[in-house]
Amino acid sequence: MKNFRDIETLSAYIDGQLNASDTARLEARLKTDPELASVMNDLRAARGILRKLPARKAPRNFTLTRQMVGLKPPMPRTYPLFRLATAFAAVLFLFSFTATTLAPMINFSSMSAPVGYGSGGGCDGCGGGGGADPTMEAAMAAESAPVAATEESLAQDIAPTTTADPAAAAMAPVEVTPDSSRILETPSAKESAPEAADQTEVENEAPSPPFNWTILFLVITVIGVGVLWIMTLTARNKWR
Amino acid sequence: MDETALIHSAQQGDLNAFNTIILHYQDAVFNTAMRILGDEDMAQDAAQEAFISAFQSIKTFRGGSFKAWILRTVTNACLDELRRQKRRPTTPLEPETSDGEEMDSPKWLADSSMTPAQKAEADELEHAIQHCLDALPTEFRTAVVLADVQGMDYTEVASAVRVPLGTIKSRLARARLRLRECLRSFEELLPSSFRLEEENIR
Repeated sequence: MKNFRDIETLSAYIDGQLNASDTARLEARLKTDPELASVMNDLRAARGILRKLPARKAPRNFTLTRQMVGLKPPMPRTYPLFRLATAFAAVLFLFSFTATTLAPMINFSSMSAPVGYGSGGGCDGCGGGGGADPTMEAAMAAESAPVAATEESLAQDIAPTTTADPAAAAMAPVEVTPDSSRILETPSAKESAPEAADQTEVENEAPSPPFNWTILFLVITVIGVGVLWIMTLTARNKWR
Repeated sequence: MDETALIHSAQQGDLNAFNTIILHYQDAVFNTAMRILGDEDMAQDAAQEAFISAFQSIKTFRGGSFKAWILRTVTNACLDELRRQKRRPTTPLEPETSDGEEMDSPKWLADSSMTPAQKAEADELEHAIQHCLDALPTEFRTAVVLADVQGMDYTEVASAVRVPLGTIKSRLARARLRLRECLRSFEELLPSSFRLEEENIR
């Protein structure tokens, strides 16, 4: 048995990978060393057997489809813009929807604290709900009294006829504002126009409906998804 | 077939051009996978995986032998598959025939050196050679398949396997030495022109 260096040299020789001088040296040895020649023949035979090994034909075609390689049809240039806008609208919708859904619950939980506010629901804080602590109400009335007086005098300057008749003033819808509600919270105002206070509460419970952003974002999202879908379908049809 | 133009088109994303290239090389790719893995189903999977991978990375092809490049891809796919097998061997404890019956003498229980009766049954030279190839360590088998079965030169094999030229030279010598020993046990199957120790010095 020859050493591995000889085997390696013989293997390279039968592949024609030896340089000229190494080839000459090896060929000289092969002539004088029958064992080396025998090993070379074995290696050459092994190589020849492998080279004669019948080539297997592919049992099927390996051609690729677009789905296999994840190719997508070329989209119009505006597609990413629409996609971004739609995603942005969807995020805004979710944010808005969550805010409008959760906000009343949060208000309710905070306003039902031991202070005693909020027996009337989410917006009780702004309207000075019916279950307010009397001492707290008195303090608030005292605080707002100077302001109320000022505003009352202003109201007199602007519309003396309305202040002359408190009942008529209470009935006038023009004067029903948040400020006027503060005026009516003063003891004197409450005494002079109890009907006006009732009217104010009615107005506070049913304010004019604010602009609904949630619906706007939802509409934009739906339109965006629709446009993206149409763009995708068109691109796919063109691709075919 | 203008291979360069097809490759250029494929690099631009033309799948039809790449499919034309596939049709040209699929036999070589499948054959390489078959000889390295020794299993037709696994070879098909590896070949398909290799072509998908080749299309996705064809932009990295910078010229040279496309055959060497594509065979490198399938070699990598085969080596990955062998590594997966090593991690999760799937040989059943009680192998069954296709009819669902338990095999009497499963191959995996047999001694690595086949009995004379089994040798006689292995009447096809191809099976005998594949048996000897399967007995080689993966790196030797890969080198010998690329060099001797696919006829690639040392430089191409070194490039495909990403090892130095000297390593390929050494692996080929060792692989042939082991093949020689293995093929001795199948002497009667070998064609007379390939009988070991009967060759005359060229």
